[in-house]
Amino acid sequence: MAKAGGITNAVNVGIAVQADWENREFISHISLNIRRLFDFLVQFEATTKGKLSALNEKLDTLERRLELLEVQVSTASANPSVFK
Amino acid sequence: MAVPVEEAIAALSTFSLEDDQPEVQGPAVWVSSDRGATTSPIEYSDVAAYRLSLSEDTKALNQLLPDSMKHSQAELYLETYQVLDLEMSRLREIQRWQASAASKLAADMQRFSRPERRINGPTVTHLWSMLKLLDVLVQLDHLKNAKASIPNDFSWYKRTFTQVSVQWQDTDSMREELDDLQIFLSTRWAILLNLHVEMFRVNKYPEIYKLLFLQIKIFRNLVDSVEDILQALIVFTVESLELDFALLFPDRHVLLRVLPVLVVLATTSEKDTEALYKRVKINRLIGIFKSDPVIPAFPDLHLSPAAIMKELSSYFPKFVSQARLLALPAPHELQPREAQEYPFIALLNHISAIRAEHDDFTVRFASSINQVVRYNYSAEERRALVELVGYVKSIGSMMQRCDTLVADALWETIHAEVQDFVQNTLATMLRTTFRRKKDLSRILSDMRTLSADWMANTSKQENDLPSLQQEGEESKGSYLYPRPAAPTAAQVHCLQFLIYEVVSGGNLRKPGGLFSNTGSDIPAEDLKQLETFFYKLGFFLHVLDYSVTIATLTDLGFLWFREFYLETSRVIQFPIECSLPWMLVDYVLESQNAGLFESVVMPFDIYNDASQQALTVLKQRFLYDEIEAELLGRSIDLRCLISQRMNKAFRENLEFLFDRFESQDICAIVELENLVNILKHAHKLLSEDLTIDSFSLIFSEMQENISLVSYSSRLAYQIWTEMQNDFLPNFILCNTTQRFVRSPKSSSARVQKPSMPYAKPNFYCGNQDLNSAHQSFTRLHNGFFGMPHMFSIVRLLGTRSLPWLIRALLDHISNKISSLEAMITGLQEALPKSIGLLPFDGGVTGCMRHIKEKLNWTSKAELKQEVLQGIKEIGSTLYWMGLLDIVLREVDTTRFMQLAPWLGFIPNADGQILLSQGEGESPVVNLMKSTTTAIVSNPNCSNPTSFYTMSKQAEAADLLYKANMNTGSVLEYALAFTSAALDKYCSKWSATPKTGFIDITTSKDFYRIFSGLQIVSDVQLQEHLEESVQGVPNSREMLGDSVAWGSCTLIYLLGQQLHFELFDFSYQVLNAAEVEVTELTLMHKNVQGIQGWEPLIEAMKKARRLNNHVFSMLKARCPLEDKVACAIKQSGTPLHRIKFENTVSAFETLPQKST
Repeated sequence: MAKAGGITNAVNVGIAVQADWENREFISHISLNIRRLFDFLVQFEATTKGKLSALNEKLDTLERRLELLEVQVSTASANPSVFK
Repeated sequence: MAVPVEEAIAALSTFSLEDDQPEVQGPAVWVSSDRGATTSPIEYSDVAAYRLSLSEDTKALNQLLPDSMKHSQAELYLETYQVLDLEMSRLREIQRWQASAASKLAADMQRFSRPERRINGPTVTHLWSMLKLLDVLVQLDHLKNAKASIPNDFSWYKRTFTQVSVQWQDTDSMREELDDLQIFLSTRWAILLNLHVEMFRVNKYPEIYKLLFLQIKIFRNLVDSVEDILQALIVFTVESLELDFALLFPDRHVLLRVLPVLVVLATTSEKDTEALYKRVKINRLIGIFKSDPVIPAFPDLHLSPAAIMKELSSYFPKFVSQARLLALPAPHELQPREAQEYPFIALLNHISAIRAEHDDFTVRFASSINQVVRYNYSAEERRALVELVGYVKSIGSMMQRCDTLVADALWETIHAEVQDFVQNTLATMLRTTFRRKKDLSRILSDMRTLSADWMANTSKQENDLPSLQQEGEESKGSYLYPRPAAPTAAQVHCLQFLIYEVVSGGNLRKPGGLFSNTGSDIPAEDLKQLETFFYKLGFFLHVLDYSVTIATLTDLGFLWFREFYLETSRVIQFPIECSLPWMLVDYVLESQNAGLFESVVMPFDIYNDASQQALTVLKQRFLYDEIEAELLGRSIDLRCLISQRMNKAFRENLEFLFDRFESQDICAIVELENLVNILKHAHKLLSEDLTIDSFSLIFSEMQENISLVSYSSRLAYQIWTEMQNDFLPNFILCNTTQRFVRSPKSSSARVQKPSMPYAKPNFYCGNQDLNSAHQSFTRLHNGFFGMPHMFSIVRLLGTRSLPWLIRALLDHISNKISSLEAMITGLQEALPKSIGLLPFDGGVTGCMRHIKEKLNWTSKAELKQEVLQGIKEIGSTLYWMGLLDIVLREVDTTRFMQLAPWLGFIPNADGQILLSQGEGESPVVNLMKSTTTAIVSNPNCSNPTSFYTMSKQAEAADLLYKANMNTGSVLEYALAFTSAALDKYCSKWSATPKTGFIDITTSKDFYRIFSGLQIVSDVQLQEHLEESVQGVPNSREMLGDSVAWGSCTLIYLLGQQLHFELFDFSYQVLNAAEVEVTELTLMHKNVQGIQGWEPLIEAMKKARRLNNHVFSMLKARCPLEDKVACAIKQSGTPLHRIKFENTVSAFETLPQKST
């Protein structure tokens, strides 16, 4: 059987444990909220990325259209006689 | 001002973070505030590296050796030695480490077995540490055994050492060390044997100590030995396995790996063995070994308990007697049927088995690894694996996302459970069962001291729950107010240890299982409660470690195969096709299974896991680089990439369709239109989800008519070329069916075309079946040219390129007419001076004789043929215009019906268009105006400008559409054009008679020439029939009905219709025949016809009917009195009913065909 006989100053340990519980509640609270903040940032990044890429796609399309129009205009201005 | 944290975080939720991104990936970012409470506090941080270096050695050596004999022998040896020495120093390090680890483990175990021990325990955590360290040693040993190359490499190293060390002094100690290492490397199970020796060293204490111990032992009757701790470990392992106490599969594998070794080690003497089997029945062991015949040892190695025990039995002679354990079949000895019956407890264990099997295969067929890896898995297996990965990963990411949502609830629950046990259950126990037992009740109160939270939520208790205060002191203790703070790992470990102490009483030899109540004086009910809570505590640790637990459970990094390939094929990099994740993704793409598509990128998470392992567990940068080389780790905008590729694919597809059309004749236009429509539809469906360039843009880009000043296009040009080179010369018209068909006896050789391009089925209609269905539909239209083809041309070319094509065709007519001129002159010259009216008295026979005598064009046979061909092409073009006219009319009518109600048109009785509301505004303008007025008058309207704009636009649209309402007829235009083109030749082809009367006998006008041509070809036809000559083409087969169209149009436009009808030779013959028949009928009844001339007469009649048809059409569409036609402006807008000067120059308004 155990020879090192358990906790000798139970009262002090009990007080320390109690204080520890209080501290830990505070720490848990803070850490949880930090994690929530982090979650938010991750999600924010994901959605923002998604929205930006959708915007980018649209801009790409517009850019190509614009290029096309530029080419068309250049062909027209190269042959002004046709549009008299 | 400080904002409360909670409020600040809650404020974040006001951001809208919704988007339509699908969940296609496994959990992406792991962030964890937990420190992995379940991992052992003892960290063997180097072990993973040791393991890796054992398996890496061979590969490294192969790559590092100097490659040539460029150096002298001695230098080569030295260099080789230096390279090898570096590697061997790692092996030496391993040898040293295992020795110290074994002695520490042995010492640790002995602490519990020495009679003078001063500590309690072992605790559960301590048991786990021992098991894990033992596991590491077993793994290292297994790995060393499996790598047969290591001793070989070592002997090589030793050879070079002998060579190099000749020049060195004092090499004895080094040599000794080398010998030592060699023994270590070449002895199988050297590590285990060493551990065994270390563990039982305690038994070699001097005799006097033994006696002393014996006395104490007798006195205490409790003293334990190493066997006891081994037994305790076995009991713990077996119970954990049976109760599924090991929640994570890596832990489970540790237990499974260690168990056979523990059993072997514990079999020391008969007495101890008996004691062991008293506590753990042998059947339980066999059951465990049977249910998991294969266990993963290292990512590319596996082991089997049965095989290990068999092998170890030759090193541990005492174990040989354990026949039942040795009789277990090793995995390769299993019958297939039997193997199926092996229950696999968890799905995740099953994956490891798959992995093991894979390796097994790889070893056996190492030479053809490429095929093995790729074809080892059937489609079914790959599908199952993809689904499994998909399930595991998506559940993982879902649970991961819940982390912060459930965290405080979990903490509260666990807090409540612990506090309930500590404050209530233990209090009850202390009052009842343990009142008399000082030692035990002390442990219980220690448990309370260590973990009780007496003040939990006191504030709530006071404020929110005032009713509770009124309850008695007695009942107050049973109410708990959970606080969202979990117990620490240390508290959980302490509680577990203390419960273990209470139950076992510190006695390792306690018979039976941990919570069996034999030999214990704790009542069964309390024991049950303690047991439940004990196992719950183990579970809590994992729950508190939420994200780490999920990460461990969903870690599939071990599916990344690599080692064997690299080792067997001696290359540095791995072909991506052999990589399992790649294979799985490949399978999903090829399977066409829509259900699997959702998890198409899931298998790539295997790379994530593998690289995570490489960096955080194995801590090897080079390994991470290798994984990274297989698939670069970065975020990819998949939609953007897909759009890019789709844009490209659509262009390629159109290009292919045009190529295909260019390799066929003009009849393929219907097929082209169908295929383009299919593509357009696909584009429309895809555009709903992807941002692709508009189809019209792609279409005009591929048609090469982006330029504003170009009216031609690739397609229009191709159609024109086809018509000029193939269609007009080689196709003949059938007036009855309104179709052109290819002449069976083509006059000119077929035009050379590029060969038909090949493409995958998805460039046509999608798949083989659809393609063949489509093929049979196109075949209906491939043999002729008619209305459907004309519709396709109109729709494909559109208003932009159609005028260009019409212009090209009209030019073609005028060119043909001018090329005819010289030939007609030639024929005119060959005409006799005069041919009078045919004599009636000789009947048909007489007429024909007369014709043959007079019209002798035999020398001009070729010229004749060419003239007919030219007339035929003119006729075909005009008829083609007629078809185009019909189609355009239909298109216009449809448009009219759509526009009429908006513009307020109604057709009157003459087919003319009237405005229904007189001079008033059209309905569309009215509608827009009234809407605008109504909206602007509304005070709520903030911005009326846009409505004014809309109203203005309606007026503009009204004007534009009204102007284009009545488009003219293309056919009439073409006829007017032809007439104008003919004017130049009027003098030659339509000479004004000098006498002023109609010239009958000496006329050489165009109608006369055509008359001659017509009757000569009829005569030829008759001769053909009489001689029944086969194979020689007659003119009708070669030219078809277009000749009549061409010649009659020319005759009509030259104003010679009446002349022709009066003096045509055939018509005269027909008249003669009529008279003759009448005469014959008067003489003999029932005369059917004139003997021998029926076919000729029939042909002539047919020709006359056709000519009459053409003339009546011409009279209707092109009245000669007023030369009015429509014009087509350069913009493509036709102007109707313009009065033209009768010259060709009047038609210069059409866009010119570029030269």
